[in-house]
Amino acid sequence: MISFITNFASAIESLAKIHRLLPWVIAYILLLFLPNLITATFGEYYVDLANRCCLFILLAVGLNIVKGFCGQVTVGHIGLYAIGAVTSALLAQNYGLPFWLSAPLAILVTCCAGLVVGLPSVRLEGAYLALATLGLGESVRIMIAVTPALGSSTGIMMIPAPTIGDYVIESFDHYFYLVMTAAIIGIYFSFVILNSSTGRAFKAIREDVIAASVSGINVPFYKLLAFVISAIYAGLAGALFAHMPPGYLHHNNFTVIEMVTLLLMVVLGGIGNIWGGVVGAIVVTVIYDQTKDYYFYQPLIFGITMVFLVVFMPRGIGGVIEQAIVKRKFIEKHEEQNLGTS
Amino acid sequence: MDFDFGSLLAFIIFGVTIGVVYGIVALGISLIYSGLDIVHFAHGEIYMFGAFLGLVLSQQIGIPYPGAMIGAMILAALLGMFIERVFYRRLTRSGGGYTVSGMGMIICGFGMSVALMNVAFLIWGADAEPFPVDFGIEPLEINDISIPPSYLLTAVVSLCLMGILNYFLRYTKIGLAVRAVAHNKDIAFLMGINVPLFISLIFGLACALAAAAGVLVGPMQSVQVEMGYLMLMKAFAAAVVGGFGSLPGALIGGILVGIFENLGAAYISASHKDIYAFLLLILVLMYRPAGLFGIVAKVKA
Repeated sequence: MISFITNFASAIESLAKIHRLLPWVIAYILLLFLPNLITATFGEYYVDLANRCCLFILLAVGLNIVKGFCGQVTVGHIGLYAIGAVTSALLAQNYGLPFWLSAPLAILVTCCAGLVVGLPSVRLEGAYLALATLGLGESVRIMIAVTPALGSSTGIMMIPAPTIGDYVIESFDHYFYLVMTAAIIGIYFSFVILNSSTGRAFKAIREDVIAASVSGINVPFYKLLAFVISAIYAGLAGALFAHMPPGYLHHNNFTVIEMVTLLLMVVLGGIGNIWGGVVGAIVVTVIYDQTKDYYFYQPLIFGITMVFLVVFMPRGIGGVIEQAIVKRKFIEKHEEQNLGTS
Repeated sequence: MDFDFGSLLAFIIFGVTIGVVYGIVALGISLIYSGLDIVHFAHGEIYMFGAFLGLVLSQQIGIPYPGAMIGAMILAALLGMFIERVFYRRLTRSGGGYTVSGMGMIICGFGMSVALMNVAFLIWGADAEPFPVDFGIEPLEINDISIPPSYLLTAVVSLCLMGILNYFLRYTKIGLAVRAVAHNKDIAFLMGINVPLFISLIFGLACALAAAAGVLVGPMQSVQVEMGYLMLMKAFAAAVVGGFGSLPGALIGGILVGIFENLGAAYISASHKDIYAFLLLILVLMYRPAGLFGIVAKVKA
């Protein structure tokens, strides 16, 4: 298993040497056939599931930026997702804006909201921040639940699907191309951010705020930047969710349970590990969907899983694999040295 | 809306009584914060469990209300100590000391809160259950607004609990040890105090307070599975507003949150009632993280 991953990684690295974007393009082209494959083997319902996986990948990757890279504990992420979804849905429904206009506007609004959620982070740390963001996220949900203009108890119905020219993207497998493109671009940009000076600033803040500020990093600016970037991801995911067939929104989609699912994805994949977050998102979404019949027990299982993960595997799947790879490389290196000396 | 002094007074009284309850939950959160340097995210669920345990004890088993309250407090304390021993202790151990910082604890508490909520849902169902208690006191009438006896009783009992806690912490030897542990664990350990035991004790004490609050709120509102989560937010708001870790601060903070929330519900919009506490929390956190009374967070318990 580990050797497969290392071989795979080295193959991708050699591809990336030809051109930096080449592995991404190949992955994209391969994924284009995924809906056909899924429909052929499992049925159309599972394409919808794949769509939701893509949305949660976007959310988890976005959450990873603020949580994993920058080390700020936020549990209000689902509120940002809700803001993106409701804004885009209302703009499309009340003002007749096309998806291509309403989604960017929704992302803009979510960015501003992300700034507001991020503001407490300038002064607060750890648990204080977690509760402040939880309060903000839950306020958003309560606002949606009690304000009739925002959907309240009936939810928003008949949200128009995105169109290209005269063509309406309303089937699951065509929508998959949209969300999959967004997810791939999202993952790509999160790697770009991680490897840029911004990403290094984030990591410096995560490791030690005081040391970071002494090294000339504008700590409040970068903290807010992390929140805004993650808000862009959440807003995009929200807008895509709102317009996804069947075009229906309800505030029950944004409860604490969803937040726990989202947290579980990131924790399961390993905090700060991008591929871990992606794997976590896919695994949790699929399990969540497949165990729908036992939804009475779902929060219990998810909550306890999260507790045990934190207690026994704090670095998640991604962390474990990373460690195994490092160990393997170390052993190989030593074996080479031993062969050389003897 | 016409300004009516009598109804304003009634709203303030409602706010104060519910605020005192926020105050005792806030006190528990403060205690845990001082013992473990963490915010216990599942504290709201302990409160909810307390309310349900009180309901079961008084309605199904038939213990009189005060006895049910004490029973619920003891059971909730045991539950809290169990959770602390089994789950949180491991986290503290891996952290090297008795305290944990960082994300692990928060995520762990979050997961625990959802799990506990689900357990309560499986046992008692999602419906709001009434908790009728006959106190045998006439309702107090102010300007056509009658204040039910449960409100008055709640305020009195909460204040008594706080008084007992204050006495316990200040004038008994165990209380002194608790304060020593809260102040500095290493030195307390060197002085021969069994620190892990006292951390468990603090946890149990805090959970007992939360359960008492649950049993007190039960007759006022109904008892339901989702009540804990809002309570956590409001109690946390109370703890922050009053300044984390101070006993009178938690009480005053709770009362302020209660009044703020009730006046907001009365004069702005009743359906947004639950948002006002968050607003107050966020405002205070942004402008005075040490609390309105400027008590430095280092002064604990």
